[in-house]
Amino acid sequence: MIELENIVVKFGDFVALHNINVKVKEGEFFTFLGPSGCGKTTTLRTITGFVEPVEGTVKVKGVDITNMPIEKRNIGIVFQSYALFPSMTVRNNIAFGLKIQKLSKHEINQRVEAIAKKVDLDEELLDRAVSQLSGGQQQRVAIARALVTEPSIICMDEPLSNLDAKLRVQLRNELKKMQRDFGITTIYVTHDQEEALTLSDRIAVFNKGNIEQIGTPNEIYNRSASAFVCNFIGDINHLDKQIVKDIGLDTNKHHHIRLERLRINTEQNDDNELQIIGIVQSREYYGLYIKYTIQSGDSTLKAVEKNDGINLLDVGEQVTIGIHKKDIMSYDINDNLEEVDA
Amino acid sequence: MKEHTTRPEWLKPELLFRVFGTAFFVYLFFGFMLIPCLNTLTQIFTTKGADGRIDPFAVIRFFFAGSMPKFIWNSLKLAICLVITVNVVGISIVLLTEYFDIKGAKILRLGYMTTLIYSGVALVTGYLFLYDSNGILTSWLAQKFPQVDHNWFSGFKAVLFTMTFACTSNHMLFLRNAIRTIDYNTVEAARNLGAKPFKVLMKVVFPTLLPTLFSLTVMTFITGLCAMSAPTLLGYNSINPEIVRLAGSSVADEAFPQARAALLSVILALFTILLLTVLSSYEHKGHYLSVSKTKAKLVKQKIHNPVANVFAHIYAYVLFIIYATPVVMIILFAFQNYPAIRSKTLSLDQFTLINFFGTQDYEFMTNRGKLKIRPNSISGVFSNADTVGGIRLSFVLSAIAAALACVIVVVAVNYIFKNKSKKRSTILEYSLLFPWLLPTILICYSYRTFFNADNIWYVGNVNLYLRENVRFLIIVAYTVVKLPFALRMIKAAFYAIDEELEDAARNLGASPLVSFLRIKLPIILPSVLAVFALNFNSLFTEYDMSATFHSSYGKTYAMVMQSMTMEEGRDGYNVNASGRRCASTVFIMVVSGLILYLVYGVGARDLGERLQAKERRKHRREKWVTRLRRN
Repeated sequence: MIELENIVVKFGDFVALHNINVKVKEGEFFTFLGPSGCGKTTTLRTITGFVEPVEGTVKVKGVDITNMPIEKRNIGIVFQSYALFPSMTVRNNIAFGLKIQKLSKHEINQRVEAIAKKVDLDEELLDRAVSQLSGGQQQRVAIARALVTEPSIICMDEPLSNLDAKLRVQLRNELKKMQRDFGITTIYVTHDQEEALTLSDRIAVFNKGNIEQIGTPNEIYNRSASAFVCNFIGDINHLDKQIVKDIGLDTNKHHHIRLERLRINTEQNDDNELQIIGIVQSREYYGLYIKYTIQSGDSTLKAVEKNDGINLLDVGEQVTIGIHKKDIMSYDINDNLEEVDA
Repeated sequence: MKEHTTRPEWLKPELLFRVFGTAFFVYLFFGFMLIPCLNTLTQIFTTKGADGRIDPFAVIRFFFAGSMPKFIWNSLKLAICLVITVNVVGISIVLLTEYFDIKGAKILRLGYMTTLIYSGVALVTGYLFLYDSNGILTSWLAQKFPQVDHNWFSGFKAVLFTMTFACTSNHMLFLRNAIRTIDYNTVEAARNLGAKPFKVLMKVVFPTLLPTLFSLTVMTFITGLCAMSAPTLLGYNSINPEIVRLAGSSVADEAFPQARAALLSVILALFTILLLTVLSSYEHKGHYLSVSKTKAKLVKQKIHNPVANVFAHIYAYVLFIIYATPVVMIILFAFQNYPAIRSKTLSLDQFTLINFFGTQDYEFMTNRGKLKIRPNSISGVFSNADTVGGIRLSFVLSAIAAALACVIVVVAVNYIFKNKSKKRSTILEYSLLFPWLLPTILICYSYRTFFNADNIWYVGNVNLYLRENVRFLIIVAYTVVKLPFALRMIKAAFYAIDEELEDAARNLGASPLVSFLRIKLPIILPSVLAVFALNFNSLFTEYDMSATFHSSYGKTYAMVMQSMTMEEGRDGYNVNASGRRCASTVFIMVVSGLILYLVYGVGARDLGERLQAKERRKHRREKWVTRLRRN
């Protein structure tokens, strides 16, 4: 459906995208994930035509659209700020694209009302100013405006970032449902790992203008292709040399383990599991689960346990930690583990 | 983005727009900014001596030998004193209405803001009405203390007094805004850390106001240096009135008057450039920026010391009286007949609308005891041909110039924003800011001398100072002078446009022109209309430029008002000039007040607020209809 081949984008001397290659399938929910300034929005803007690549091609359904004018690409966009026209009512915002297409008044009204219904916008809101709507309602207007012209692709640039946490989760689910209902190919940009993992069919993880990994959420999370991806997606423990030695792994590599893979106070599974003793240093209560910081010799490890409301560990309590070889993700020593500021 | 069209490259709208746009701005900059001003500069060095030979330093020698430094010193003295007095009064009125808890602050604020609705020549004539030799206060003082000098309100002290109160408008607009945006939590934090109220004011509040105060100080200094209407009407020998006088003088009367006027204009320009450079470098240094994520609204501070509290209240109300008295008196006397104004007595019996509408015969006794009648010699603002002519001319010239300035700047700023990092947009921006560096008088004087010839090829060899052509020259001068202000304001409005809006419109299929007209323009329109209204407001009663162009074909409203202050005579045709003057000032106040209301009241509402207001009106209408049906 969408193919980006060897895309290079430069802003002056600064290379924003280095040789990007992505293939997005028809009807897929595809997410560009990465920290601020990694190039995900630039890639999206290259697809929509706001950024012109210095090298490479953008194809949609096999047609090269690299040099096609923005307005002729038939790609809908939901902007981070929603970009709703403040001087127009909700109705006129949604109808804008249809008016440009010079459709009849009757057809415009019909389509506006139909799309408003589909995105769950009350009809009475249509004649209000966009400034009179809540954040969630504004987002629905932005989606309706992008979908009403029946584009072949819809691009969303961090559309949930302006909303509060609870609404974000609610709209995330609705967004996924809407995408399934419309069956439209969707490119979604976000820096929020949780959002990417819950929404996407596939994810491309960006770092410094490169794609580090493309894969399903499960592949990205459990088989991270690089130390960066491993660190960026969820919390990790960086295993120190002593543990690595004790468990019998290559000391010339970085080794990481996810927090939920540490087994606390359990029987040893097999010979591939290392059991170490530690003291609980702190306890963070998250409701669904509890996060413990455990000191074992010179190593500080973090672990999470499901909150069953009974087996809470106290600070200062001694525990055994099980680390299984199969849960460890190892990376070349040259693959620097970077601090991620998402 | 390369577009797939079959149209030849040279016919593309973007290219045509760029070519015509560049040609227009080059013509405007060189033709009406640079060349006329350079001509003024060359006038200084091309003066001919008595032997007919060019003597490049004749004017310079004359400058040091003659009385010219006196005008510069007078202007400097006025500017320096104004900086002190305006800041003292300006800071006082802002603190008294916004920072300290003073009883009746809302009424005080109204009084202090009166200078926003009348300024320039209208304000000066208002003050004259109260304080000049026949003024209300002077007449009252003369009755009580016969030894009082009737001409006490003239010269430096009168100019300083009038301009001090006239120039605090900027403090009421900008300093008030700055103080209202102070995060009150910082005040509370300082108090919590043990600072006393005065310490909080000096160490926490004032530092955040310093950038605004510095800008206001520079603006006040420039205003003082370039003062025109007050020195002219109150009789003070400063630079600007002297330039106008010299511009109208001839070689037969005095030595090279034009070159001397040019030299004074250039000296004024040098001072302005120096001050604006200082201001600009200060602005570039950066300021104290609030880091608060959630600002708390400023709570007014009580003055706990009872003596200080009483003193503050007395001070506030004395200032209020100074501000409000001329306005109140002008409004009251605008509705009094000629004898009442003459005797400075208010009476309901003398109430009349003759100062506004209609004409009346004037009856008077000659020295020989003969009763004479001057038919229709008492006339109102809207019945006096001269005044109506001035209003009409000012209205047309100001409206055209204000609209032109807005159109030029909107087109330019749209281009500047689309080509942000390119050199050509920087050049365009600086060329539009150029008139800001030059005093208005230099631009107008340059126009008057340069275009008073029929060999300027790029204006079609037409003498633009001749007869009705001067009106075109005034329009160009008005437009050019207002470009920098329009640029700063409209540019700020463009900054407020979310860049994604245009992207969204383009993505939905709109062409650049459609997305500008339907998306950007409606957003910036309130600001553009505000700039238009404010520019119109200031041009409508503008005096400095009209005085420089001084021509019977360009007699604007301000010039008519000025003549009203001079022409009143017992037996003349302008017997009720004082009444008409009051009525004129009231008319100006109404126009300015209306414009300010439209700009800041109605114009500031967004679509949501407008729809809500519409909804309320609909409800009211329905209510009335229901009531009517019931009855």
